[in-house]
Amino acid sequence: MLEGILAGLATTFLPINLFLVLVGCFAGTFIGMLPGLGPISAIALMIPITYGFDPASGMILMAGVYYGAIFGGSTSSILLNAPGVAGTVATAFDGYPLAQQGKAGKALALAAYSSFAGGTIAAIFLLVAAPTLASVSLSFQSSDYFALMVLGLTAVSAFAGKGGFLKAILMTVLGLMLSTVGTDASAGIQRFTFGRVDLIDGVSFLLLAMATFALSEALMVILKRTKISKKAQQATQWNLGSLKVSRQEFKEITPTIARSSVLGFFVGVLPGAGATIASFLAYGMERNLAKDQDKAQFGKGSLKGLVAPETANNAACSGSFVPLLTLGIPGSGTTAVMLGALLSYGIQPGPRLFVEQPQVFWSVIISMYIGNIILLILNLPLIPYIAKLLMLPKQLLTPLILFFSLIGVYLVSFNPFDIQMMIFFAIAALLLRILDFPMAPMLLGFVLGGMMEENLRRALLINDGSFSFLWERPITLSILVIIVLTFLAPVVSYFKPAVPD
Amino acid sequence: MNFSRIRKAHVHKDKVGALIFLIFSVAYGVSSQDIEIPFFAEEDAFNSRTLPIALAILGGVTALLLLILPSSSSEKEASIGQAFRGLYWKEVILLLILMVVYGLTIKVVGFIVSTTLFLALGFWVLGERRIKVILLTSVPLVLIFWYILSQLLDIYIDPGSFFHFLGGV
Repeated sequence: MLEGILAGLATTFLPINLFLVLVGCFAGTFIGMLPGLGPISAIALMIPITYGFDPASGMILMAGVYYGAIFGGSTSSILLNAPGVAGTVATAFDGYPLAQQGKAGKALALAAYSSFAGGTIAAIFLLVAAPTLASVSLSFQSSDYFALMVLGLTAVSAFAGKGGFLKAILMTVLGLMLSTVGTDASAGIQRFTFGRVDLIDGVSFLLLAMATFALSEALMVILKRTKISKKAQQATQWNLGSLKVSRQEFKEITPTIARSSVLGFFVGVLPGAGATIASFLAYGMERNLAKDQDKAQFGKGSLKGLVAPETANNAACSGSFVPLLTLGIPGSGTTAVMLGALLSYGIQPGPRLFVEQPQVFWSVIISMYIGNIILLILNLPLIPYIAKLLMLPKQLLTPLILFFSLIGVYLVSFNPFDIQMMIFFAIAALLLRILDFPMAPMLLGFVLGGMMEENLRRALLINDGSFSFLWERPITLSILVIIVLTFLAPVVSYFKPAVPD
Repeated sequence: MNFSRIRKAHVHKDKVGALIFLIFSVAYGVSSQDIEIPFFAEEDAFNSRTLPIALAILGGVTALLLLILPSSSSEKEASIGQAFRGLYWKEVILLLILMVVYGLTIKVVGFIVSTTLFLALGFWVLGERRIKVILLTSVPLVLIFWYILSQLLDIYIDPGSFFHFLGGV
């Protein structure tokens, strides 16, 4: 293991990789700050750039983008009350009031410190948890993987919240259906190609991610005509105030940081839950723990109320890498995009990655930590200038985002049919977004679809075509029991009489 | 665009979505029957048709549940009319048309011309009227991008069939 860590360290500290973390953090911060564009779009936009890189460098860039996007989201939450990223919605609760009180600088600095602290603590957990879990999961077989993937897919729906459960399941099923288009890998039979040569290879993952996220998110901003330019103008004229945080204040928030990062990490590890849920849970926990006087401050510019979600969302980002790196199963939309990228480099994450290519495994973990440090160094002094970036004219930015999405896909295949297919998916995604259907479960279903079918088929082959392994293998059975429980939770809450909140 | 009819509709948006998914699942299920299975795989517990059929059933049943179960939010606040209210379609539709045209022309007139036009018209659609800004943003950007791709990264970019038609090599 130590050898692996050293190899990882050596890879991470190659000048080119350090440079990529820097670029990633900066690009991520910028994209994350644009309201409407989230980390999934940010990462998807980076994938075409990383095609020529070796896998470790590609992952390093994307980890930087992920963190940057979350931090950028906090910036627009605090300054504009317009969260760029769902994981930073809770940041606005207390961050925006602080900015209104002329303490925007302090709020941004605190956000940077707490993101850093959350990321650091979670990185240490990751360092311990990932190898342990990876060695355990070496004993997993096809049937267990099949069950785990089903668990990941149902959990994403179970966390969708009241009323959203069935819609999330439908979107997951849609993703699985799209994954069946093309040639069936193990039998060589064409499915749903409608006789078109362009569809023989199926729908490319990058195409789908770009169309349903980058394209449709950018178009959604235009469709809703989110007016932020006025607010942005106002924000840049604000007095940011001092960036200093006093020792007394640090003392006050230290316990909050400790609690929120532990909570955030474990929520992040859970399949289906992620930065968004972690940040809301941490905010709620701090509010419940606070004494009367502190409690009244929540929502009016409480420092704890700002620090808790900021710490938790970063910790959850690291946590969400645990299932991806150790099992090869993404638990969220963002890690699903990362998995898609890894697969396109020809790398299958999972316990074998840990054994066969430890330098990739470790360099990702280490570079995530470096990303945290760089974000702190990069963003603290740049805060006043970052705020100005919000002033960039949208009429110029949106066509550029559309162009980068289209060309990113086109340059892989040089097939104009792909552009038309993207537009088709973007329109469908736009309509589904208007009807409030969540997009992330679809992407997750699409990524897991092929692997799920393959594992199930292999399990059946080993078992002479009998489904008995589902209840005969203890690991499979226990995962199935958890699946049933996650399914039951929304059903029970559906039939429970509504309690006024 | 006349969306006034939709705006007045009082159907819950979940029901509309459920109906779309129901139709889609049925269509998916029907076309899954077109998958050709070799005779020796027909009796297998799992062949290329198994997962699609299972998905069609799962999708259909879930859509049906969403359709018939009472929704958690009231029809008024989540009606399809409410969902479509206050949206600005004009720019989005123009941008979509631009993208389609871009996809159609990129092989014909080549990367540089089609991309410059796409960006310039895109800026125009979104309300940028200063010709200077439009040109000074789109032209250099496309040229820099083309230079990075074709010269630095050595990616071959087809100059377009029109170029070849004119006699270019």
